[in-house]
Amino acid sequence: MPKAWFIALGVALVLASIGAYCIYHVVMTGIGAWGNNNSVGWAWDITNFVWWIGIGHAGTLISAILYLMRQQWRTSINRAAEAMTIFAVMCAGIFPIIHTGRPWLAWWMIPHPNDMQMWPQFRSPLMWDVFAISTYATTSILFWYMGLVPDLATFRDRSKTKLKQAIYGVLALGWRGSARQWHRYERAYLILAALSTPLVLSVHSVVSFDFATSLNPGWHTTIFPPYFVAGAIFSGFAMVMTLMIPARYLFGLKHIIKAEHIEAMCKVTLATGMMVGFAYSVEFFIAWYSGSEYEQFTFINRSTGPFWWSWLSMVTCNVIVPQFFWFKKCRTNPWIIIVLCLLINVGMWFERFVIIATSLSRQFLPSSWSYYWPTKYDVGVFIGTMGLFLTLFLLFIRFLPAVAISEVKNTLPEAHAGKDH
Amino acid sequence: MPSITDPYWKSLGELATVNPAPTDEFPPSADTQTVDPLSRRNFFRLMGASMALAGVAGPGCQRYEREEIVPLSRRPEDQVPGTTLQYASTFELAGVAHPVLVGSYEGRPIKIDGNPFHPFTGDGADAKVTDHRHGGSTAFVQASVLNLYDQDRSRGLSNRGKGADFNEFKAWLATNREAMKKDPSKVRVLSEALSSPTLAQLRRKFLTDFPGAKWAEWEPISFDNERAGLKLAFGKSARAFAHLDRAETIVVLDGDIFVEHPAAMRYSRDWKASRGPEASSLGDGKMNRLWSVESSWSSTGAMADHRLALRAELVLPFAQALDAKLSSGGAPSAEFLNEAKVAKFLTVLVEELGQNRGKAVVIAGRRQPPVVHALVARINEALGAPVDYYDDGDDRLTHKEAIVELANDIKAKAVSHLFVLGGNPAYDAPNDLDLASAIASVENSVHLSEWDDETSEKTTWHVPRANYLESWGDARTWDGTWTIAQPLILPLYGGISALELMALVMGDEQTSEKLVRGAVEGSGATWRKAVHDGFVASTAFPTLGAKVGQLPVVTLTASQQAGSRGTSAKPVPLEVVFQYSSNTWDGRFANNAWLQETPDFFTKVCWDNYAIVAPATATEYGLETDSLITVELEGRKLELACYVMPGQAIGTIGLVLGGGRVKAGSKGGDGKTPVGFDTYKLRTSAALDLASGAKVTAGSSYQLSGTQEHWDIRGGLDKDIGDKGIAERLPRLVKEVDQTEYRDGTEGRAWDANEESEFWTDPDRGTSLFQEHTYEGHKWGMAIDLGSCTSCNACMVACQSENNIPVVGKAEVVRNREMHWIRIDRYFKGSPDDPQIVNQPVGCQQCENAPCEQVCPVGATLHSSEGLNDMVYNRCVGTRYCLNNCPYRVRRFNFLDWNAEFKEARNRVRKLVMNPEVTVRMRGVMEKCTYCVQRIQNKKIKAKNEKRSVQDGEITTACQDACPTQAIVFGDLNDPKAWVTKFHKDRRAYSLLGELNTKPRTQYLARVRNPNPKLA
Repeated sequence: MPKAWFIALGVALVLASIGAYCIYHVVMTGIGAWGNNNSVGWAWDITNFVWWIGIGHAGTLISAILYLMRQQWRTSINRAAEAMTIFAVMCAGIFPIIHTGRPWLAWWMIPHPNDMQMWPQFRSPLMWDVFAISTYATTSILFWYMGLVPDLATFRDRSKTKLKQAIYGVLALGWRGSARQWHRYERAYLILAALSTPLVLSVHSVVSFDFATSLNPGWHTTIFPPYFVAGAIFSGFAMVMTLMIPARYLFGLKHIIKAEHIEAMCKVTLATGMMVGFAYSVEFFIAWYSGSEYEQFTFINRSTGPFWWSWLSMVTCNVIVPQFFWFKKCRTNPWIIIVLCLLINVGMWFERFVIIATSLSRQFLPSSWSYYWPTKYDVGVFIGTMGLFLTLFLLFIRFLPAVAISEVKNTLPEAHAGKDH
Repeated sequence: MPSITDPYWKSLGELATVNPAPTDEFPPSADTQTVDPLSRRNFFRLMGASMALAGVAGPGCQRYEREEIVPLSRRPEDQVPGTTLQYASTFELAGVAHPVLVGSYEGRPIKIDGNPFHPFTGDGADAKVTDHRHGGSTAFVQASVLNLYDQDRSRGLSNRGKGADFNEFKAWLATNREAMKKDPSKVRVLSEALSSPTLAQLRRKFLTDFPGAKWAEWEPISFDNERAGLKLAFGKSARAFAHLDRAETIVVLDGDIFVEHPAAMRYSRDWKASRGPEASSLGDGKMNRLWSVESSWSSTGAMADHRLALRAELVLPFAQALDAKLSSGGAPSAEFLNEAKVAKFLTVLVEELGQNRGKAVVIAGRRQPPVVHALVARINEALGAPVDYYDDGDDRLTHKEAIVELANDIKAKAVSHLFVLGGNPAYDAPNDLDLASAIASVENSVHLSEWDDETSEKTTWHVPRANYLESWGDARTWDGTWTIAQPLILPLYGGISALELMALVMGDEQTSEKLVRGAVEGSGATWRKAVHDGFVASTAFPTLGAKVGQLPVVTLTASQQAGSRGTSAKPVPLEVVFQYSSNTWDGRFANNAWLQETPDFFTKVCWDNYAIVAPATATEYGLETDSLITVELEGRKLELACYVMPGQAIGTIGLVLGGGRVKAGSKGGDGKTPVGFDTYKLRTSAALDLASGAKVTAGSSYQLSGTQEHWDIRGGLDKDIGDKGIAERLPRLVKEVDQTEYRDGTEGRAWDANEESEFWTDPDRGTSLFQEHTYEGHKWGMAIDLGSCTSCNACMVACQSENNIPVVGKAEVVRNREMHWIRIDRYFKGSPDDPQIVNQPVGCQQCENAPCEQVCPVGATLHSSEGLNDMVYNRCVGTRYCLNNCPYRVRRFNFLDWNAEFKEARNRVRKLVMNPEVTVRMRGVMEKCTYCVQRIQNKKIKAKNEKRSVQDGEITTACQDACPTQAIVFGDLNDPKAWVTKFHKDRRAYSLLGELNTKPRTQYLARVRNPNPKLA
């Protein structure tokens, strides 16, 4: 295992370094290093941002909503899913900062007392984003860390070296496992779960406002909040499966992350995939129903214009691919699941690309119509965030309990004195 | 006395004595109020002094070159630091004066505009601010200031490629003068087209001093065909000038009256005067009708009510046909005249001309051979057209004859000394003459030029020439008005003027000031007034009263008798026409980055030149836009880029001149990175303007950079999706109406530009979620008349010059990152074979309900109390959300550091052209049109100081100043009498994308076309 882990970490670090270099280059030379232009102001940057934010959603959903609904199967995957959320949000958070022309001044978006007469402009959805995402990141980290505390104590107790004992000891915050601590823990966990639950809906709704509140055809749509949330969960679950299925084999967690858990996730993916597909068709219907020639053109152009291939990728991956999950075989064969989930992630990336770049490329005045093509720095930064994500994830599974030990203990048959839970 | 110990008071009377109001704003005691000897100020004084001394004494300090700063003991007249002053001067292009006012900021000329007081191109000497006086200019005039600061200008003399100094040159001249005197018939001068009366005097003196010497004039884009044609007609060279303000029917044959014509500024102004749909110089409710017959698109064709695309060579039979119907000529027999479309066009045109006798005029373009100009003179005579023929009293050879004669003389070894005054003949002379090698073979030659260019390379001496803003000079406008050029700055690189060089050649070292002043005072005019006004009044040429005589009989060639539309069995013969470049004119502006990046009027391509072909021709020969093609003409071959242009005459290959320079400089081609293609390689003395019998073959692909078609017509699965989308929305974006409908209305209702849209009949329209702005003081607004905009690009360059707009280069234009704050959108209407063109200048619309303002997270774009969308560059972090949310796409982002080149020492001189009143933007911030907020503030401050309110017409934006037809009007919408208020209330006024409820402050006036009902 460690050998495979080192190889994987090596690869991830190389990718992350590529990204770091590309970010350095973009910051030093300007956004012109990317392919963005005077018509397509946002392209891969915001596409990647929304994609990563979406990926993170499954974590919150699994840990909070499924917890509140007492879906016990979540315990096998919630820790990893939460970690994934945090890492995805970290990757996402890079983009709003580096996509600005002067990233060293991006902190001006944070309201703070100053002598420059500066104050954020709260009518801007980008401001709402700042709050939505920072809240999301904070809550997710708290929730994750909260859940980790008992397990960190277990690590502390089992560590053999002084250093490990010290580090895990500090991180465990003095957890002793007393009944009183458990009681407080359970309360706090419940409260945090309740706090996180609205975030599942709010974060991506707010992200979708970036587009929905604008007046661009293709963006200016009231369906965006639910559509984005469904899409986020859809892509998030696909990503959880993409990561957990190999992890299950590599770390011998098959007895904990059971086939039925994977199957349940496939079903959620299928359901949210259908919602996404429905949203696509509603968008077309509303474009026609609106009677607005600009709106109609945008949607026809999306599917048959110069970017038709991205639209086709999106529809294929997000609408057709999940349909395979109707078949039991597809929900149980890990290879098929992995392929389908990867395709879904590709499709969800294209969805954001279609919404952002394709809509912007042909707006109201035909004189300003444009095309967009990425540069190596667009690709490099995206690859870099994947590298960062993988690096963090690999470090996580190596040094922190990837499965919630205490919770799993709770759900093991032994914990219920012979009775099924 | 005020005292700290006695701050209390009981009554106002006591207060007045205790604490008297200071009578002086800065009382002398203000900085020594405290008794403490070591006050804060004193402390800093001492600290500052000791630090400074420590710096002087410090051993590690850098030793600067010793400099002496001497203050001006007396302030130069009118010179107030921080203000811009305007001086009258003259820019000469192709032998025609463009009277200008030069804006000078503390000794640096930074902005050029037309001189509104000039009697020919302006409003006249008594032009008033309140009448919105304006001079008008072209893109070339606007950009000419950048030439002054061109970093690649020649910085010294050179002799056979080696640096030399001025004394060496003078010594050389002194020795050679004797040789020249010995055999004066071997001395030649080759100058650009010149209209300078002072230089004309020097020329006369030179020809007397050196009997037998010859003075040739060469101009690659020349109006000498007209000169020769009128000589045919009248027996004497002349210049034609039509009074378009008195013309109801204007027919232009293969020419352009708005940009290319030497009288373009006046023509634009007069055409506008007779064009108003409501009231015009023709009378109420009358507007002129413009007809254009042309091979390649020109502004005239785009503005024409009727345009007929014909191969240039067919214009001769067309003119003959007109002549036959209206005057005394014989009818030509040519196949195309029988084609239904042409025949109908001709019939209706002839009928209209016949009805409008005395009010109809025909103008022929410079490309047409002399005989067409002669025929046009005869037609105009028959029509009693309002045309004047100016007699310039000059009996020189035409440019073509002169250059051919010179080349032959050199080849015959009959030239020992050659002085080339300006120009670049080694690059732009007819290719068959091989003038470059000819010049190189002359034993002694001198090239006076602002650049060490292709010609300088061939001459033995290169002498740097002073820019027109660095030297005294003079020139004549098309009508002959003597126009004075005054310098605004000492020569940056020590150049001399053509006047000085010629004086020197004759052994009489003189300053050009003395020469010009001598000439002006010699004519009896007052020097100071002439310099102040920029012209000498009443110096127009006398008009010629002659009658058109017998014209020679012309036989038509086979291709001139062919049809205008081919069949697959019998394709139309191919012809080549040479046309000026909107980027470089004839190549001389190649190193002017502003012009290079200004998109062409109609192709919207910049940083390149190319061959323009019609879609039908492209299909026939398999040619495509963005590909290389090979054009062959009489054995000469040239591979160049191709642009397929709807509306180009079938069979005409329009070759744009002015590309492919190899010694233009770092921007315009230095032999390493080519900019465009050298189309002069196909241009011979036999076919200077147009030639039949061309061949064309398709080649590999090539990337042209356009500012408009950034792949916009590109299809996807549906090949025509872009075109369909454009066709669907265009009627809402660019509104047009025929004059009859405009005048009479439809179904008993008066026509209104806003009525077509459902949005405007919705009672809830205009409601907003946000609190509406109110304006106590000013409320700035703009109106743009689509009916007057000739898409001449002057506004674009004016804006660039005024607002320090950076140039991004070809690769970045391809990426759609050009920075122009105002652009001119061009759309086609109708079939690709015979479309109409509509133009729409678009800058920031300064929306009342601005989408950009709502989405900026840091409040970097805000609404001002006077209704402007202010951009706060310092605050912008560059999220580009405003750009994404701007439906007009007028916001421009600094994707890279566009000013990075100024870090290089060599390029720093270009910084001098910057307008100090406008911030230079760094990378990563957004920018856009500000309605020239710096001009608004300046005029407001001036008015406030003079204790009055701002007058209408006082504040002008840069684009407005530049516009030759006054299509752009700016003013205060709170002023009910302001022009802009009236325009906004006009029924032609509409808001672009008004249905989005953005409430733009710029309104467009719909274009009124005036087609002949019989051709509608």
